[in-house]
Amino acid sequence: MEYIIISTGFALMLLGLWGILSQKNLIKIILGFTIFNTGINIVMVSIGYVRGKAAPILDVIKPSEAASKIVDPIPQALVLTAIVIGLGVTALMLVYVLKLHREKNSLDINSFKDLKW
Amino acid sequence: MVGPIYIIAVALGIAFFMGLFGKSLKNLSEWAMLAGLGFMTYVSGQWLLEFMSNNRAVETIFTAGFKPPYSINLQMGSIEAFFTFIINVVGFLGAMYLFKDLKKTGPNAMMVYLVFIMSLNVVVMTRDMFNLFVFLEVGSIATAGLILLTKSGEALQAGMKYLIATGIISGVLLIGIIFAYYFSGSLNIDDLLAANMGASKTTVIAVFLIYVSIILELKPFPANGWGIDVYTAANPGIGALVSAATASAGFYVLYKLLPLGGAEWLNYIAVIGGITFVGSNLMGTKQDRPNRLLGYSSIGQIGLLMMILGLSDILGEKMMIIAFGILISHYAAKAGLFWLSGLIQAKDIKGWAALRKSPFLLFLFGTFVFALIGFPPFPSFFGKWELITTLAANGQWAWMVTILAGSFIEGIYLFRWLGYAIKLDHEDLPDFKIEWNKIFPIWIMAIVLYAVGVYVTPMVEGGMFINYLPLMFVLFLFAIDFLPVYIKNTISIGGIIWYMFHIYPVLEGDLLRLIFAGIFLVGGVLTLMAGYSKKGTRKGFYPMAMMMFAGLIGIIEASTLIEFFFSWELMTAGSYFLIIRGKRSMPHGYSYMLFSIGGAYAILFGFALAFASNFDTSLAALGSINLLPTLAYTLLAVGFMTKTASLGLHIWLPGAHGEAESDVSPMVSAILLKAGVFGLMILFLYMDRTSVGATNLLYVLGWVGALTTLMGNMSAAFQEDAKRLLAYSSVAQLGYILFAISIMSQLGWLAGFTYTINHFMFKAILFLVVGGIVAKLGTHYMYEMGGMIKKMPFSFIAVLVSIIVIGGIPPLSGFAGKWLFYNAVIEKGWYFQGAIIFFAGIIAFLYLFKLIHSIFLGQLKDNHRNIKEISAWILVPSYILIIGIMIFSAFPQYILQPIGDMLAPYFSTETLVWEGTKATTSLGYWDGTTIMIVVATAFLLLLAWLLALSSKTKKIEQFNIVFAAERPFRPETTHVSYNIYAGYKKALGFLITPLVTAFWESMSNLVLEFANWLRRIYGGSMQNYAIHVVLFIVVFYLIALGGL
Repeated sequence: MEYIIISTGFALMLLGLWGILSQKNLIKIILGFTIFNTGINIVMVSIGYVRGKAAPILDVIKPSEAASKIVDPIPQALVLTAIVIGLGVTALMLVYVLKLHREKNSLDINSFKDLKW
Repeated sequence: MVGPIYIIAVALGIAFFMGLFGKSLKNLSEWAMLAGLGFMTYVSGQWLLEFMSNNRAVETIFTAGFKPPYSINLQMGSIEAFFTFIINVVGFLGAMYLFKDLKKTGPNAMMVYLVFIMSLNVVVMTRDMFNLFVFLEVGSIATAGLILLTKSGEALQAGMKYLIATGIISGVLLIGIIFAYYFSGSLNIDDLLAANMGASKTTVIAVFLIYVSIILELKPFPANGWGIDVYTAANPGIGALVSAATASAGFYVLYKLLPLGGAEWLNYIAVIGGITFVGSNLMGTKQDRPNRLLGYSSIGQIGLLMMILGLSDILGEKMMIIAFGILISHYAAKAGLFWLSGLIQAKDIKGWAALRKSPFLLFLFGTFVFALIGFPPFPSFFGKWELITTLAANGQWAWMVTILAGSFIEGIYLFRWLGYAIKLDHEDLPDFKIEWNKIFPIWIMAIVLYAVGVYVTPMVEGGMFINYLPLMFVLFLFAIDFLPVYIKNTISIGGIIWYMFHIYPVLEGDLLRLIFAGIFLVGGVLTLMAGYSKKGTRKGFYPMAMMMFAGLIGIIEASTLIEFFFSWELMTAGSYFLIIRGKRSMPHGYSYMLFSIGGAYAILFGFALAFASNFDTSLAALGSINLLPTLAYTLLAVGFMTKTASLGLHIWLPGAHGEAESDVSPMVSAILLKAGVFGLMILFLYMDRTSVGATNLLYVLGWVGALTTLMGNMSAAFQEDAKRLLAYSSVAQLGYILFAISIMSQLGWLAGFTYTINHFMFKAILFLVVGGIVAKLGTHYMYEMGGMIKKMPFSFIAVLVSIIVIGGIPPLSGFAGKWLFYNAVIEKGWYFQGAIIFFAGIIAFLYLFKLIHSIFLGQLKDNHRNIKEISAWILVPSYILIIGIMIFSAFPQYILQPIGDMLAPYFSTETLVWEGTKATTSLGYWDGTTIMIVVATAFLLLLAWLLALSSKTKKIEQFNIVFAAERPFRPETTHVSYNIYAGYKKALGFLITPLVTAFWESMSNLVLEFANWLRRIYGGSMQNYAIHVVLFIVVFYLIALGGL
């Protein structure tokens, strides 16, 4: 089971990366980023998973027996942080795309090549 | 002590406060931001001071009440204190610089700014891997936000590229971190470093992912198009921050994580850094947008720093001082340059000519350029010195070549740029506003460079001997630069004379040094005297002239390798500024500088080999080079020959000397060239001349000297420009000297010394007088002169005496030189080369005749009828030198005998014997005094006879065509002296086809074209830049882990 999850995570990462590198529409590229980040998050969660243990939420499990019953909480905490950061980055990218669209009335990534060499 | 946590707390607190109440705060928010940044600077500064003054333990800050790895911990040690301090300083100054832009955009921008600086602080201090990731991300987001300060399409595109690239990089880093956690069970950096993950084939993937993403954050070539675009399009104030603060933080992160993978990863880091350093600088050579150029330069410097980290195993404990010197120079210079760029707002580096409107800003620009290249007294000079010598000590030749090549390429564009700023003709210089809040930060950065330079001097081996006294004098002259010429001139002459008294007891007994000190200092006084003929303030002249003399005398005084090199570079910098002062000197100053840097690096390489042979820092180390001795000798000789302008390395000289101001030409010709001669003499005396390599080298140099003389004299004969004629004559005379000392016998060296002293005297006279005439007549061309003998009799006599010396005609000292010279040639048996020299000597008469005939004889031109004699301030030093020539001619034994005695221990056979005034060799004898008496008597008798006959002479009017041998009022083509040697040129001109010039031109074209081709990878497409990043990761993976 955990292999399926971690493989899915990697597959999503590659899919997202492929989207970033191949799509011409800026919105689709941002979608690629979210897929890429989702893949990373899945990989992170699955790495901390321990077979047969519960989520590290202490209102279900008594704190005294938590150590033996929950999965590793750190990757889960990291994922939460990563999601928040991803949200920030995505929002900022969308703002940029909005402004870029206003600039040239286009979402095609190839219409923004003014800076070179 | 205020805890380091308050750096973060204050920044976040103010940022939140602004977010909540920003709108109602009105004008308070920008001051709150400045206060916050000031406080952050203060906190890190007091920690830095604490670590510097007390031997204090590292301060660790635990968060959330747990010990690591269960919580995040921050660390404040001496290095963290240093990095946070420099980040906060540039943050504070940057905010001051951007004050108006931030104010206009409002509290939101200030919030982002505070968070940006805060994030870099955390990146430096944190000891938690995930925390590091978070704050790298915060920094990226804040950067992307700050890019929007500039409201242009280009900035938008650059920001988007930045977001895409950093998005991918941070994803890779995150994966790396989670793997590292999985393998080691901790996120604490110290635990990760201890986990030795590089050892196992499975765990090494985490090492790879973390390294590749941190390296990518540092924008390695070629996966850095996104980074360069940010530098190009963002507000230069932001560029300064990214270049100085972000890069410093990124550099420290890499330093922090260096032990993560183990030794073999260091090689990869060094190689990537090396490629980045060379590649990025190479592409800078074709760049003419100032900000983009600075971007290339920044990335190049970070590449160099990355390389230093990668070589840390080799550099050992020296790494700290090296990295410090180079980092702090990059930091201050780049911040200053970006800020300057923001002031000028030029789209092209040619627009920087506008800087001329403000000499102080030009001074700052020069400071930053020289600091980046690594000139003294800046910290980068010491950093590079230690870097090269330490690498040499470990036999790392390839790295030495890489570093010097990259630095040279950096010089190509930086000095082109500086040249534009100083000299480029610019019809309507764009105006720029000077605001104090923008000038102040730039000044601070310049002061940092000088102060830190002096501060690190004693930390370098042998550095404590460096004498800063002459430099203080230079600084003093800068301070009084507003005073009129005659005051500054008097002070300068006074300074040199004082130094003569100061240095004489030091050098007493060391005749070699005494002679050169005499040439430099006496020459300095005499050539400076001509300066009294100038009017106005002559801004910048005196500090630079004194810097050159400080360097020259420093070379003489040097007892260690580093002192010598320090002074050598000082002299180069000073003379560059003198040379480029001429009206049309921009390209010549530029080529002088490039040859000088190239030569300096050859010398540095040679010195490094000498040092590494026995770990001896003294100049005597040149005597015991056992590491690649032949290469070391060759490099040193080539380095010194860039100053003596020997064949192949001479192409800068004719323009540089010919176009220089009338009193600068004698300084750089009669005096400066002798620095190269001194270097060669030192080298030849120390080196093991019995070795095969040295013998071959001397043989080749003999040929080079002979051919230089031939080429120089022939080129001089075909010149129409009087000063260029003299310049080529210098090339030839230095060829004689090179040839003479390459003979390596007592006679050869005596000839060399005689030529050196003669050339100093007659070339100073000629350049002073002819320069004065050229300035007076307003033309360089000899065919536009004529008949000056009656207008300028004193000048005529001075020139006449000089050319008698050059021609080697008895009774003057030129004959002594020739006599010794041919004795030495015959004794050595270099007949073929000797024949070439002899032939060249005949050609010398052609140009000497042309010079004196075209200027002084012939027909007086109509527009020169009211010309008077040149200034007495030029004639007085010339006549003092003529007296010198007369004494040297009549009593050569007083100088040559002691020189012969001095040389005796160095050469096995003492072939010249003195009896009173008579010098005897195996081939014959010569008596300077007798010759003088005989010739003078004959001359006086002839003169008397001619005077007696003079009653019968018939005065011929000017328009008597028979006398004039030229037709009046016709274009110059009919002038007798125009192209006077056309016949010879037809017959022999092929010998001086400018092959060397063509060679260097095609070399430079090759480099530029290659750079132009290479930079096509930066095609502008965001997606391509993302692909570059991914490809970089893949290729690095395949090489590091894929067994490629």
